Amino acid sequence: MQPASSSAQVPESLHPSGSSAAGPQGAAGRTKARAAMPPVDRGWAPYLFLAPYVVLTAAFFLMPFFNAIALAFYETNGPRTRVFVGLANFRFLFADPMFYRALENTTIFALASVFLQLPLSLGLAVLLNSSETRFKSFFRLILFSPNLVGQIFVGILFSVLFTPRYGLINRSLQGLFHWGLEERWLTNPALVMPALVLTSLWVWVGFNMVYFLAALQSVDKTLEEAARIDGAGAWSVFWHVTLPSMRHVVVFVVITCIIGSYQLFELPLALLNTTDGFGPDNSGLTLITYLYEMAFRSGDLGLGAAIGWVVTLIIFTISMVQIRASRILED
Amino acid sequence: MIEKFPYGRAPFWLLIVAAVSSIVRPIVARSGSSRPDLLYVTFSHLHQETYEKVVGEFERRHDIHVQFQYSDWHVLQSRLENAMLAGADVPDMVEVFEGSLGFFTRGPAADIGLLDLTDKIRSTGLDRRLVQSRFASWSTGGRVYAFPHDVHPTMLAYRRDLVERLGIDVKSLDTWDKFVEAGRRITRDENGDGIIDHYMLDLPGDGQWGLETLMLQRGSQLFDAQGRVAFDTDVTAATIRWYIEQTRGPAKIAYDAGMDQPLLKVMTDGLVLFYITPDWRSGFFEHELPGLKGKMALMPLPAWEPGGRRTSVWGGTGLVISRRTKHPDLAWDLAQFLYYNPKEGGERFVGTKIVPVDRDEWGLPELDAPDPYYSNQPIGRLYADLAPRTPPHYVTALTVVAQRKLNEAYSRSLQHYERFGEEGLDRAIREELARAAEYVRIREERNEALAQVQ
Repeated sequence: MQPASSSAQVPESLHPSGSSAAGPQGAAGRTKARAAMPPVDRGWAPYLFLAPYVVLTAAFFLMPFFNAIALAFYETNGPRTRVFVGLANFRFLFADPMFYRALENTTIFALASVFLQLPLSLGLAVLLNSSETRFKSFFRLILFSPNLVGQIFVGILFSVLFTPRYGLINRSLQGLFHWGLEERWLTNPALVMPALVLTSLWVWVGFNMVYFLAALQSVDKTLEEAARIDGAGAWSVFWHVTLPSMRHVVVFVVITCIIGSYQLFELPLALLNTTDGFGPDNSGLTLITYLYEMAFRSGDLGLGAAIGWVVTLIIFTISMVQIRASRILED
Repeated sequence: MIEKFPYGRAPFWLLIVAAVSSIVRPIVARSGSSRPDLLYVTFSHLHQETYEKVVGEFERRHDIHVQFQYSDWHVLQSRLENAMLAGADVPDMVEVFEGSLGFFTRGPAADIGLLDLTDKIRSTGLDRRLVQSRFASWSTGGRVYAFPHDVHPTMLAYRRDLVERLGIDVKSLDTWDKFVEAGRRITRDENGDGIIDHYMLDLPGDGQWGLETLMLQRGSQLFDAQGRVAFDTDVTAATIRWYIEQTRGPAKIAYDAGMDQPLLKVMTDGLVLFYITPDWRSGFFEHELPGLKGKMALMPLPAWEPGGRRTSVWGGTGLVISRRTKHPDLAWDLAQFLYYNPKEGGERFVGTKIVPVDRDEWGLPELDAPDPYYSNQPIGRLYADLAPRTPPHYVTALTVVAQRKLNEAYSRSLQHYERFGEEGLDRAIREELARAAEYVRIREERNEALAQVQ
């Protein structure tokens, strides 16, 4: 079968010269150049350009993806020995109290992220969006900049700040409230999660603020103005006009925030480095730390794969529920 | 030419870049692949510097090139683990931490990527020359897979100036009971600001290395010689109770000084007087806190009972040889040259402050040299005298899991103490230890299906 050879059969958007933004002269010039080209089989072009991506994806995503599905049903011992064990890995997982501890910790962290981090981000975005705020660019940079620091560095930095007696946070608390000088943030199970949340606030509040700020700047000002003329107060305008106008961004940020929380790994690993991210009594153990421990520290790759699938299902389910809930609310 | 390319300029240049890099990369990789005859990776700058000073003679003798590389131990451990899992290229020789061997020796013997050194160690008499207990950390199933680098006997380093000012006679502190008694006298608020000014002992608040070091001294440990879980014992329970009393009780004497910078600050300020200190840590203090020169001193650990063991063990390094090395005999020779070579042993001790594991080197004059940092004590001799009494530290593939569960049992016992005080504490400790040990046994049994196949 003769493949199509006419460029006219390829959609205009696929043509390198197909932009409608090109001026008439540019278009005419390119048409002339195209007329001088030898006839080319353009039907293969999209596939050729996609090929590198497809090959790489197949090699580094699809193959490991399917391999991980199979691996979850094997017990591994050392690098080359494996035995098919059916659902034994999943049975072990659902009977392991450490898994539930990891799930509980991760969920608490995710909830703290949504109910503490995002309101703070939104509040800062509102402040920076106000016409009365000065030095906006400066504050935006300052608030965003913690995100430029790697989480491992943040963990190390905060492990020093949380040092009993000498740490900046402990000394500040002592100075302000006459409490906290000797608090063991990283070795007291009750304080490990607050320490993790505090550290993550420092990193992520500014990052999410940028999303909210962009959304606030795209809200239709005439709607807000109309509401004010109708007598709505500042809070009422924000709650009934501004926030609904940016709901798509809010849903996006909430979903990414929860997904990120369920993938929490580096921060506890660095902050609680003496316990490899576990914390005392597993108080800092997250699902991914648990996966890492089982798969790479204990060498139980089959169990690690099973945990990976369970984590994926958890994140997928939560995301679906959120998307569905946001649609219902929208309706 | 660009104009004639049918898909536009950007794809043209992308194609050029892809083509050029595809050609250049293999050429560059080939020209830069002059791998040394032996590649040796260590996690210690100090080790690397010491080895590089002496390796020239070995290279000349064998007409080979040896390259030493440094890698952070976290990175080294995970890279080596992943390289072995993936079957990728690994260095010929690698220094690994105590406790990590279990990961590399999981599975059937045919799958182990490390050279089995057992027969040669026996035939050359090395097993008789080295401190016997140190082979425990580097063996699996009765086979030895690493050369022990050190013994790491443990002492107490202390701020001599402050201890003398506070009127403590260290010679009388020969048992932990006497140590605690003295500690209770000095652990107090001296200036009336409500904050304690001196603590007697540095112990980590979450158990970590402190608990296991004390357990080892007392004759209890995570696994027995056969690799069976062995930490749910009365001795461990008693040690946990003692630990809780010293770190949290109303008459506590211990403070968690942390590691690295916080630890150095605590030492400089004299907040804590005594620090559990294996030989490697004595060198660390000397290197990091030169300002304390002449103010520090060392003493043996107090015993758990009169006449009992005055030392323990904390940490250890072993040298493994990859089974894929092209020069196993040279690797063996290099290990002997670097680790068990009396000629270089003195310089190695001066550089690292680590007492040799080779008994033949204990007569080196460098070990008897007074160390001005530790108030002119001959610290090499002090550690060497304790070395034969270091307890064995058995390691399995589940050592890391067992350490975590032990710390979990400690942490939960501590929470019980903070909620209910002494009431039911002993029972709670035993229950937590039993639960923790049972978890490790369940993890062991997970390999049953594989064991049947093998």
